[in-house]
Amino acid sequence: MNGALAIAPILVPLAVAAVQLLLGIRLRGLRTGLSFLSCLALVAVAAMLMMSASRSEGAALVYNVGAWPARFAIVLVVDRLTALMLLLTAVLALMVLPYALGRWQRMGPHFQPLVQLLLVGYNGAFLTGDLFNLFVFFEVLLAASYGLALHGSGARRVGAGLHYIAINLTASMLFLVGVGLIFGVTGTLNMAVLAHLVPDLTGTPRALMHAGAALLGLAFLVKAAVWPVGFWLPRTYSAAIPPVAALFAAMTKLGIYVILRLSLLLFGADAGAASMHFGSEWLLWLGIITLAVGSIGMLGARELGKLAAYCVLVSSGTLLGAIALHIPAVTAGALAYLVVSVLGIAAFFLLAGLVVPREAPAGAAQLESYDPAVDALFAAEDERRVTSPAPVVILAACFLACGLLLAGLPPLSGFIAKFALLAPMLGHGRGATVLFALTIAAGLCTAIAMVRAGIQIFWADAEWEFPRVEPGETISVVSLLGICLVLTFIVAAPWNYLSATARQIHAPGHYIHAVMGQATETRP
Amino acid sequence: MPYGLISTAILLLPFAAALATPLIGRGNRRRTTWLMTGTAGVCLVLSALLFPAIADGTVLRQTFAWAPALGLDFTLRVDGLTWLFLVLVTGIGLLVGIYATWYMPREYPLVRFFSLLLGFMGAMLGIVLSGNVIQLVFFWELTSLFSFLLIGYWHHGKSARDAARTALIVTVTGGLCLLAGVLVLAHVAGSYDVDAILAAGDRIRTSPLYLPALLLILLGAFTKSAQVPFHFWLPQAMSAPTPVSAYLHSATMVKAGVFLLLRFWPVLAGTEAWFWIVGGVGLATMLTGAWAATFQHDMKAVLAYSTISHLGLITMLAGLGSTLGVVAAIFHTVNHATFKASLFMAAGAVDHETGTRDLRRLGGLRHVMPITATLAVIAGAAMAGVPLLNGFLSKEMFFAVALGANHGLGLDALTVLVAVAAAALGVTYSLRLVGGAFFGPLRHDFPREPHEPPRWMRFPIGLLALACLAVGIFPAWSVGPILRAAALSVLGAQLPAYNLAIWHGLTMPMLMSVIAFAAGCVLYIALRRRIAARDGTPLIDRIHAMYGFERVLAFLTSTLPDLFAKIFPGRKLQVQLLLVVVLAGVFGFLAVQPLPAPAVHGMQVDPAFALLWLLGVACAIGAATQAKFHRMAALILTAGTGLAVCITFVWLSAPDLAVTQLVVESVTTVLLLLGLRWLPKRIRGLAPRSRAARFRHIRDAVIALGVGVGLASLAYAVMNHLVADSASRFFLEQALPGGGGRNVVNVILVDFRALDTLGEITVLAIVALAVFALLWRFRPAAESIGSARQRGDVAPAQDKHALADQLAIPALLILMAAPLIALFALHLFLRGHDLPGGGFVAGITVTMTLVVLYMAAGARWVEARLKIAPVRWIGAGLLLAIATGLAAVALGKPFLTSYHGHWTVPVLGNVPLNSALLFDLGVFAVVSGASVLMLVVLAHQSLRRVMPAPDAPRDADEAGS
Amino acid sequence: MEAVLAIAIGALAGSGVWLLLRPRTFQVIIGLTLISYAVNLFIFSVGGLRVGADPVLGAAADPSRYADPLPQALVLTAIVIGFATTALFLVVLLTSRGLAGNDHVDGQDGTP
Repeated sequence: MNGALAIAPILVPLAVAAVQLLLGIRLRGLRTGLSFLSCLALVAVAAMLMMSASRSEGAALVYNVGAWPARFAIVLVVDRLTALMLLLTAVLALMVLPYALGRWQRMGPHFQPLVQLLLVGYNGAFLTGDLFNLFVFFEVLLAASYGLALHGSGARRVGAGLHYIAINLTASMLFLVGVGLIFGVTGTLNMAVLAHLVPDLTGTPRALMHAGAALLGLAFLVKAAVWPVGFWLPRTYSAAIPPVAALFAAMTKLGIYVILRLSLLLFGADAGAASMHFGSEWLLWLGIITLAVGSIGMLGARELGKLAAYCVLVSSGTLLGAIALHIPAVTAGALAYLVVSVLGIAAFFLLAGLVVPREAPAGAAQLESYDPAVDALFAAEDERRVTSPAPVVILAACFLACGLLLAGLPPLSGFIAKFALLAPMLGHGRGATVLFALTIAAGLCTAIAMVRAGIQIFWADAEWEFPRVEPGETISVVSLLGICLVLTFIVAAPWNYLSATARQIHAPGHYIHAVMGQATETRP
Repeated sequence: MPYGLISTAILLLPFAAALATPLIGRGNRRRTTWLMTGTAGVCLVLSALLFPAIADGTVLRQTFAWAPALGLDFTLRVDGLTWLFLVLVTGIGLLVGIYATWYMPREYPLVRFFSLLLGFMGAMLGIVLSGNVIQLVFFWELTSLFSFLLIGYWHHGKSARDAARTALIVTVTGGLCLLAGVLVLAHVAGSYDVDAILAAGDRIRTSPLYLPALLLILLGAFTKSAQVPFHFWLPQAMSAPTPVSAYLHSATMVKAGVFLLLRFWPVLAGTEAWFWIVGGVGLATMLTGAWAATFQHDMKAVLAYSTISHLGLITMLAGLGSTLGVVAAIFHTVNHATFKASLFMAAGAVDHETGTRDLRRLGGLRHVMPITATLAVIAGAAMAGVPLLNGFLSKEMFFAVALGANHGLGLDALTVLVAVAAAALGVTYSLRLVGGAFFGPLRHDFPREPHEPPRWMRFPIGLLALACLAVGIFPAWSVGPILRAAALSVLGAQLPAYNLAIWHGLTMPMLMSVIAFAAGCVLYIALRRRIAARDGTPLIDRIHAMYGFERVLAFLTSTLPDLFAKIFPGRKLQVQLLLVVVLAGVFGFLAVQPLPAPAVHGMQVDPAFALLWLLGVACAIGAATQAKFHRMAALILTAGTGLAVCITFVWLSAPDLAVTQLVVESVTTVLLLLGLRWLPKRIRGLAPRSRAARFRHIRDAVIALGVGVGLASLAYAVMNHLVADSASRFFLEQALPGGGGRNVVNVILVDFRALDTLGEITVLAIVALAVFALLWRFRPAAESIGSARQRGDVAPAQDKHALADQLAIPALLILMAAPLIALFALHLFLRGHDLPGGGFVAGITVTMTLVVLYMAAGARWVEARLKIAPVRWIGAGLLLAIATGLAAVALGKPFLTSYHGHWTVPVLGNVPLNSALLFDLGVFAVVSGASVLMLVVLAHQSLRRVMPAPDAPRDADEAGS
Repeated sequence: MEAVLAIAIGALAGSGVWLLLRPRTFQVIIGLTLISYAVNLFIFSVGGLRVGADPVLGAAADPSRYADPLPQALVLTAIVIGFATTALFLVVLLTSRGLAGNDHVDGQDGTP
């Protein structure tokens, strides 16, 4: 029955989506209820998988779809990392769902099924242990993301969507060429088997395999919106409606996830001298540049949506650089940072949708840029005794929380995550030092950008007219931030899990063995 | 042990109270006040209880597990220095609480204000209690945050907003530097625990990382303690309510930097770098502050700059590296806190009563508010360093330290000189402050009619003034033990001998005091008119750090990003695609090391095949050149290439691919044709080809060539280095026994790798939904509608253009053909498992049937006769596919485990009875549903022209549900 | 034979890329189609080229008598997915043309 648990994260949302389609677009209430059920189920399943994963040494369970031996057919693998990502996505979806119930989902048909299908893509990509199947689920994810990014239509979204789709189609081509090359020279698509074969490759086959890996990597870098192939992100995310952008917050992380998984599996410690840490130098510096570019963009952002989008770039860059260092402790920190940044960025996207006047397009709050103003010391105080109305206070508090979270300032878990990420970086060479410095600088840039936006929005004029905020929307934002607050004080258990995860993926032997073990037995 | 509990309580109470304040009810001023003052009072008492335990230099520690795996424990650490600050923070907090209740406008609910003040108090206590550097940084940043919120408390004034913003950015920058610093420090020391770090002094000072760590930590301290050149935020912060200025920006928060210096003095001090940086900065700050304070007109501004100056003094004392300096620093920290807080409150009282703080508009207030005046005089005298007051004692000690310094003659002389100068200026601005406000003739043009402030507003001022006197007259009795304990905790064994007496006899320091005092008075007499006349500070006006800060900010937030956007025009799709393609080339090339050697084995070339591809390539290139001006031609040429691909598949024994390619080809072409009509007409030669355009063409041609050559060589190389045994062998062996099908490709699709197929149909479904969602309310651009008529494009879904109107016979034939095609589809579907065909091909074929019908009879006709609900087909298909897979799970087998056997049916022949067949049926349903949905929606675009708009939602729903 | 196919793949990819970098949406979509042809052929080719060895099991049981079926299956999936995404891209392209009023990839009619 455990097996069914492994496939459930794919099947549940898929089935729910299918039923929702059968119901037709009129029974909106029923559709929504189903979505909630599916998300709850996903959280539960992910939690169970996480428990079983934290009990086992290598891969918790290896599931041969169709009962064919793993080496030949498709296999789903659940280890600590997979379970973590599954839980994160499920929680994210569950938290974001209430937000969309009101005005947002009515902007077009089939919002709920598309969200479910997006989850299918996420979970499939996290679970699969087969390169081509990974491609398929990537396409599922992307197709759903196209649909959602265009949800609500309008010139801005369609224009951004056009770019988004064109670039991702190109990336998919790269993906296919890479898979083709790797299959051609190794004769397998199974990641574990591949990892098993890599050390024995020599000469031209190895070269071709590397070429394939490089093209695959580029495809994932595009998904992770790494410089210089990440220009599509700010436009697309800021154009999408807030709940969609929030759901996308985990998408770049998927690219990071795959890079982490494959680079450690194929080019990890025991991949042989010629292939060990293949391309990690590139990844490190691309990550560093992305981090810098993201920070600059954040400082210059004139809309909240853009600001949030650049936060995504920053976290992508930080993560990429961190995982490229191949230091288990740093990887653990990176995972902590990943979790926090996904939740924080999602919350911020949602918030950005609330603090702009409704009639304006999402995130169109224009922020002033500073100029050397005349010295305003001791100007006569304008002490208007105005107390802000409650909802605005809540929004302001949430905004403050987002700022602290993303800038990595206390008391929210962003601080702990950043500390966990930075502390082990010291004393590991030039690249690590640069990354260390830039990560801290990025925190500062975030703080500057956020304080500027916050003052502009909440303090500058009491007349700022906020839209009627629906309860669901507040619930989403508050609950997302609540998790982050809790994670500040409950650190021990999650951290132990994360560090164990890092150790596990840095020693892929168990993973490979677990899958290969299945390879011998044939179907009954 | 109770001490642990006490320290914990001291830390937690303020935060608890801060959270409780809002719950207590916005309106109720009294209760809020009690909560604030009560909390502060309790904390003060609790702190007092701790003194006996730490008086002799012992350290109290209380540890809670926070993140042990990270090496982080939540440690509360109390020693003499901590205790001193505990009392300062809680005690002055209590007084400020009382004061604020009466100072803040009555009609104003104090909830937010007190809640923030309590929060700050907690954070500040957290800093001094931290037994762990990360924890220290944690609370450090919290104080910055609360100070930001408190400065911006009256955020309706621009100055308050700017001040808050500046303060936050400066202090947070420092905080982040501090974080980096302590991380480096801990990296060297090997622990985050304060005591462990304090023990590792020698290792740290000798480590190559000492200097970076020092610089980073000092940045933290200097920004917080408003040292030059980061001092500018403090005067600005004066736009906060006066209680905040008194509490945060003179007594406590700005002392956090000093606390840090003292805390790590044993580890970091005693080196050249320390002496030059800390001592130098302190010196500069002391002088700058004093000088600037002399020329201010706003009472709070005078106090702000004098605070800067005194902080500089303390920093310098810590920087000189002598142990007596440390004692003096601690001593002066206390003294400054007392007299400066009381002066701030006095200034606040004046502001509160008269409605102005401008020294040029004030005067003679001693006549109307004598008590306040008296208290202010005492505090002011303490600030000026008049004997019998605490300021005098610490100043004496400072002089002694300055004299005791031995870093080369010139330097010592300079130190002494600066010390006297600063002291003199101190006297001057003290005189100006007190004299200007309270003495001279009484003015009558105040915004408000002044009289004594309420008793409880004077009480805190009085208490602090009393403290000044007590310390000044009975130093050994009042402050002696405290000072000793604090100094002991920093210096330990090397605690110097010092003497807290009022009268040391006619010593050098005494002489210096006299000189300074005299000079100060003279300066005041000489300058008072001139100062009153001029605005701003001479000399340092031009180098105002504030402008620099604003400029940096402006550069960061507009110049740099704009510049960047100019360099990388990331908005243009062409640029982005270019980058992707080029990067792909680079990656591929760099990865292929060593470059593969060309091998030559393989099939010899069949000329016909070569010819085929000669044509195919020609078509491709033709399409490339024609795509801009002759879309139709380009489309046909592309189809030609597709045909070549198709033939290749047949040739190289891939019949399934050939069939699929063919049907996909045709559907795609139809879709493109449907779309073509909406694109704008483009005539060659309208836009003259610029040089830039020509350059782009050449560049892209080169790139394209490179990619082509690259991919070609990769393909050739891989074809020559195929692995001997791939997974495929297994499939060929297992297809019949295991999968029950002869067509291995199809078996792979519906059985071995059925999950791929499931994903693939999901993609189709999603795309169909997306297309529908995008088009259901969409109207084509007006201008393209008009011109669409003249084009020769095939326009299947228009009643006007439907074949039925023009050529009746062919239409009839097609209508009759339609069922046959459908039957053929069924055949394709059923045979799929053993021969080329299968669900996908069948589905597409069905779609073609529909297309044919549309072309023949027109959309209305078709939809009038057969009800199509493609979205439902999609849903059903997906469910069927899943159900098939789940059946296996129900039987305890993994998902999608297949069951198979064969049975014979008349006409159709040998039909496989196979779970995979059901799965394939699902595929069929989804494929047909999706492609039909897409075609229908696109077709309806053309209908919309002839249809009245309101119809649209209806037909959208038809198609949609 | 391999060489011819390799050159063909290269040529298709090349012309596809050239179109991909052009400013008009229609050119881009045609470019993508050509590239996907090339990629499909590429994946197909990594199975090795065989003539008259359809992977449809006949009398002979010996696997070496048949062409490698797996790449074919992969290509099949790739073709379908390619078809779907192309269709979507086409529709987006049309919508953008409708909303922006022109067929430039950036929505504003700048350089031709």
